[in-house]
Amino acid sequence: MTVAALSAAEAPLQASPRAVSRRRAIRRFKLSLLAPLIALFAFVLMPVLLLQLYFSVHQWTVYLGSWWDADYIGLDLFKEVLTDPRFGWSVLRSLAFATGSTVGCFVFGFLLAYLMHKPFRGQAIYYIIFILPMLTVPVVVAYTAEMMLYQSGPLNDIITRLSGIEFKPSWLSDPHLALMTVSLLEIWNWTPFSFIIMLAGLTAIPKEPIEAAEILGASKWRIFWEVQVPLLRPVILLALVLRFLEAMAEFPKTWSLFQGGPGSATETLPVYIFMTTWQYFEISKGAAMSYIVMLLMIVIVLFAIRLLRREKRSLDKMYEQSDDLKVEG
Amino acid sequence: MAMTKSQRRRITSGVRYVVLSVWGLMAFFPIYWIISTSFKLDTQWFAWPPYYFPSPPTLANYMNVWFGAEEYAQTQYAISSQKPLISLYNSTVIAVTSTFLSVLFGSMIAYGVSRYRILSEARMFQLLMLRMIPPIVIVAPLSLYYTAIGLIDTRFGLILVYFLTTLPYAVWMTKSFIDEVPLEVEQAAEILGASRWRTVFEIVLPLIRSGLVATFLFILILTWSEYLLALIITKTQVTTLPIELSKYQGSTEGRVYGRQAALAVGITVPLMIVGLIIRKHLARGFSFGMVRR
Amino acid sequence: MTKFSVSRRTFVEGGLGLTVANFLPGTMPLASATTMEESTIAAAKSAGPAAVNGMIWSPYLVPMQPVIAEFSKQTNITIGAVQDISIFDAPQRAMAEALSRSPQFDFIHIDSNMIPSLVSAGYLEPLDEYMKKANFKIDAVGDYGTFMTYGGQTYGVPTDGNVHIQYTRKDIIEDADNKKRFADKFGKELKFPQTWEEEQTIQEFFMDPSKDLYGSANLRNRANGPTWWYMIYYSAGGFPFDDDMKPTLNTPPGQYAVDIYLKDKKLNHPEAANWGTPQQIPRIAQGHVVSTQYWDGTAKLNENPAKSKTTGKWLYGLVPGSDFSGKRMHRSISSPLAAILVNKYSPRKAQAAYLALWLGSGKNSIPIVTDPVNTFNDAWAKEHMTSDAVKNAYSPAGVKAIEANFQVVAPPIYLTGYLEFQDALGKNLSEAFVGQLPAKDVLKKTEDEWTAIIRRIGQSKLKKDLISYKALMPKRLKPA
Repeated sequence: MTVAALSAAEAPLQASPRAVSRRRAIRRFKLSLLAPLIALFAFVLMPVLLLQLYFSVHQWTVYLGSWWDADYIGLDLFKEVLTDPRFGWSVLRSLAFATGSTVGCFVFGFLLAYLMHKPFRGQAIYYIIFILPMLTVPVVVAYTAEMMLYQSGPLNDIITRLSGIEFKPSWLSDPHLALMTVSLLEIWNWTPFSFIIMLAGLTAIPKEPIEAAEILGASKWRIFWEVQVPLLRPVILLALVLRFLEAMAEFPKTWSLFQGGPGSATETLPVYIFMTTWQYFEISKGAAMSYIVMLLMIVIVLFAIRLLRREKRSLDKMYEQSDDLKVEG
Repeated sequence: MAMTKSQRRRITSGVRYVVLSVWGLMAFFPIYWIISTSFKLDTQWFAWPPYYFPSPPTLANYMNVWFGAEEYAQTQYAISSQKPLISLYNSTVIAVTSTFLSVLFGSMIAYGVSRYRILSEARMFQLLMLRMIPPIVIVAPLSLYYTAIGLIDTRFGLILVYFLTTLPYAVWMTKSFIDEVPLEVEQAAEILGASRWRTVFEIVLPLIRSGLVATFLFILILTWSEYLLALIITKTQVTTLPIELSKYQGSTEGRVYGRQAALAVGITVPLMIVGLIIRKHLARGFSFGMVRR
Repeated sequence: MTKFSVSRRTFVEGGLGLTVANFLPGTMPLASATTMEESTIAAAKSAGPAAVNGMIWSPYLVPMQPVIAEFSKQTNITIGAVQDISIFDAPQRAMAEALSRSPQFDFIHIDSNMIPSLVSAGYLEPLDEYMKKANFKIDAVGDYGTFMTYGGQTYGVPTDGNVHIQYTRKDIIEDADNKKRFADKFGKELKFPQTWEEEQTIQEFFMDPSKDLYGSANLRNRANGPTWWYMIYYSAGGFPFDDDMKPTLNTPPGQYAVDIYLKDKKLNHPEAANWGTPQQIPRIAQGHVVSTQYWDGTAKLNENPAKSKTTGKWLYGLVPGSDFSGKRMHRSISSPLAAILVNKYSPRKAQAAYLALWLGSGKNSIPIVTDPVNTFNDAWAKEHMTSDAVKNAYSPAGVKAIEANFQVVAPPIYLTGYLEFQDALGKNLSEAFVGQLPAKDVLKKTEDEWTAIIRRIGQSKLKKDLISYKALMPKRLKPA
């Protein structure tokens, strides 16, 4: 079983006679462990964020001069972005896309994991096939989709043949379907992720409570809802949160397939920022947008982190207890 | 009650096989499609009704894309000044180096966290947050900054950002392995007079060797397939494979699907091999200590 | 004789060989160089050897390579690193270069409508000095040479005319049975369409989705749609701005153009909303289309039996016009008009400029525009129109159509901020085409978005640009 290193680390190797010089040496050691992280922050991340901040409060019109000459305009750009309906729509699209694909990944991932969490013949092969989509590069997913989803393409053809009914949606040119098409691709691409996590979670559930419930005569359904799901909560949460955040940032597939079209049906947040910055060269507006998105994401992430930390703590506690129980038993 | 327990079990098991097989087909079909397209002649790429099997299969796409074979270019499509072998080299160097840095320094930080708490739990989560910020929000100033300091369009520049963006994963993942190493081992080493650095490099890291390999390959998957950053901060000198692939779009000759497919297979296969090698460890990479084993 | 190896099939036509002969040691002194090509070489030699880096899409570069090889051989100016990027993505990447003032590329090969934006961003080197030194003239058909100028200076050398011509299926409209059916229904003769309305009647009458035959293959996607819209709009007498740089889209000609543009939805393939050239061009050559406007290079594809099922089955001609303004007017369009531009920040700009001039001579570019496999560079020079090689590649009727359309060719918006203007229009047209936006709101919404762009870039600056834009507009109603 795991050594609960977090608690052990509180009082590591500290009681020593030559305490002072030792403490100093440890300090130095700790610093040098952290040095690369600090260097990365100082030389890559900070300058970039500061530059972004500069742009977000200066109106730089690329045709009129250099960026260091741009006029200071305060928070005007933030106001502009927040009142821009296109920005609002792109936020909504991204939220819809992220929610839809997260739920999809989760439902399918969980279903598959549940069906696979007990050993059966052929399990290994299914596992290998199931994780393949995740190992496909996103750009490749996009181009493969283009090869398969044209109106008279293989997907529609197969469904038509199987069902006997003419099935001809234009996945790639119908504005009502376009965002859903990307969501389906995202689900195809990333269901393995949820599947793997949920499978690991399900197989890690201790057997004792389930066996106990079975002995007490509980139905499978009740065991599932009242024993397994509560024990899986942290894992479920993790699968949802990570998937949601990654989906909010999805760019390669959406861009390679649609570039925002048809109409503006797939103009998600990353696509709109990309267009603002690299197609309209409104670097400043793009910067303001980026900061707003960053704040939005930080709020979501902080909220998620609170939840995750709480779950992690209760999980740690639970396992400590169960370890204790085992030792006693 | 008509069904016995064993009958019911057989039905359950049957249903399970059906559901899993249906999903398996859905998961595998696109992969099959891209492989089969890579062996198709140009008339079969975009046909109606679609060709489900390349007939006859041809190696033309592979020869043209990977080796620039011109005899194929002349009879069909000539988009042959592309250099996927160079991109392959770039992709390999960039992905491997940045992943190596990430795992090396990530495991050192993880060690510090695990043994000395150099980052509080809150900081650890903040580190994870770094990964969660969409790269699109920093890519514009990054490209200007890189231009100013001369890192644009260099392998080192790309390695540096990949290093930065994958470090959180590396720290979290290796920490879960280091946590499992019993403290007694290190204490013994200390008593024998080993320095702290030696303890890390000669005792702890070797003990979690397989964990490091898993972390390495897991992060390699991320760096290998990265698209947006590579799109913006590379130009001529450094092109990675995902960017190379996107160049096969938009020709007035028609979509060169077969070529794209041949390149895509080349991009994906290494990743799949890597993924299958570490399939047992994938869960650990994603679960940030939320799953116990 | 000379020992240069021809690496690819149809390389150098006779003219080049002569040029080489002229430079064999002792045959002729440099000073008395007579042809434009020779003086270009002489000027390039004086700039010294270099390896120039560029941004250029490989389908364009490949057919240029033998011609560049010849230049390199004589001048020691070679091609170094190349960023291989699609012509549709190049404008964005070039702007990124401009705003970081990067000296990395010595030349870029790009849509010439980007000239105002790139000049304003301080990126482009005027070529007039180099042209004078090399005794070089852009010898383009019609007034097309003006497309390379901005603010009175020349900034580009064309490699690809990319003018739109009309494609109508000969086998369909000359079929006696079809003629009779058509006359019975409409009471008029079936002939090559002269106006947008005539064309759409023909497209509608002959389209038959059950046979995978659609009326049109015009592009209606977000990126390319505006190109088609401008043709209709200009031919109806519209011009997008008044003298004060106020948008004038939301006017009768504008609405007329939107209506014609949207009617195509019934005549085009159902997936047209997201289709670009990669999907549509093969359909033209494979015979799934009745009548359409397209870039002239497609004629080369249609007439290549190795790739086309419709060889000899096309009529080529002038794009349809309109009577909307009271007078019958035809307006063709050229966009993206690929040209070589030179980076002002480059330390090798002279070498890059001379390379561009070399590639831009009518004689040197014949093998480039006639390449049978890489059909990207389309004929544009006067010399091309009389060349047998060109006639052979495009068919004589094709060449005639190209020449006619060049007489009335217009640019899309030729202003600083081209991409922004273009995408606002493209987005709104595309939204209307897929039904997300009512047809009557397209122009109003575009005008609002354009007004914001104008405010950002500056009205007075754009008013100056407007002079260059208007200088590019054709003056005649139809080809002479």
